[in-house]
Amino acid sequence: MLTMAQLLAPLHEHRTNEVVVTTMSAARPWGRLSSHALDFASVDSAMGHGADLALGIALARPERRVICLNGDGSMLMTLGTLATAVGARATNLIIVVCDNGRFETTGNQPVAGAGRVDYAAVARAAGFPSVHRFDDARAYAEALPGILRAAGPTLVHVVLKPGQEGPIIRGPAEDAPYLRTSLAESAEMLRAALRV
Amino acid sequence: MKSAGPRAAAKSATTTATKTLRTLTASGITHLVGLPDSLSAPLFDAAVGHPVLRLITVTREGEAFAIATGLWIGGASPLVVVQNTGLLESGDAIRGTVLRIGAPIPILVTGRGYERMRAADVDPAQTPTPELLARVDVDSVAVLTERTLDAWGIAYRTCEGADDPVEAILDAIDGAREREQPLALVMARALE
Repeated sequence: MLTMAQLLAPLHEHRTNEVVVTTMSAARPWGRLSSHALDFASVDSAMGHGADLALGIALARPERRVICLNGDGSMLMTLGTLATAVGARATNLIIVVCDNGRFETTGNQPVAGAGRVDYAAVARAAGFPSVHRFDDARAYAEALPGILRAAGPTLVHVVLKPGQEGPIIRGPAEDAPYLRTSLAESAEMLRAALRV
Repeated sequence: MKSAGPRAAAKSATTTATKTLRTLTASGITHLVGLPDSLSAPLFDAAVGHPVLRLITVTREGEAFAIATGLWIGGASPLVVVQNTGLLESGDAIRGTVLRIGAPIPILVTGRGYERMRAADVDPAQTPTPELLARVDVDSVAVLTERTLDAWGIAYRTCEGADDPVEAILDAIDGAREREQPLALVMARALE
């Protein structure tokens, strides 16, 4: 199992000009590491739809990779998105499923099928050409640069230790800058960064 | 006098769908995102392999609103097409993406149950009751469609009977852009 830090640090190191969409327990830790103009937190938004937002951005901007740091609970809510991404040929979409088996931000209640659902296998069956599963930090860090270059859609299933991130409430009390603005303001900032 | 027959009806629907696609591309719509029903099927059929407009078929309607919002963030100009049943399914997706972000996305809602509602002499503005929603001669989704849009604060227009569906869709697109907010068009008639 990896810690959230072991997942995010290599991604932060290798990230260049990709859009990064975060959700749930990954949102705050990523915002502590990164203050990139192409970061966007799908927080205070719609349950389970972070990967859909990322898919939409990826389809609008085929020249740029879009990485979604999705929760396992969020992924379970919209598994159909995997079929949609394949059907839409979103070759620049990378979905990272942060599988801690828990609804961490509500107090670590187990998700349905915790520890038993193989998200990599689900993605492969849905037609994802680039699928990876990691429960070892070194193997993940070594493979990541190649994963970021591969033609997708890509799904990376990372088995994580549960953390202790509590609920996120957008506003000045959040330490990550991209969580201090409203969702609408964040969307406008991302549009500006994408020169829309 | 001979009846027009199913072949003529299909040709008419295709013509309307083709006109609609031409209007969509002329007005800058880049993506059609949604799920077909029997009313919108000609539009989806015509959009397959279209040289300009990209068709994104989703697995559940809530996806369509979040994907469309992402498309708008990325600089595209999507049209969402869902049946009214799918609109009701999409509640949190609409609230948390299109409305929360204020994405000016036009939404074409095809209206299942409107003909039966009219035949049953039910006013769409009538307050729903458990008895009304359970009536065998009424499709409850039609009763709830406009009231749900009202509750969610989504402006909408309707296209019925003699209205030109292509003009109505164009008006909805223009309306969403002028208001800088989502705007729904309830298509309470067939697209033929």
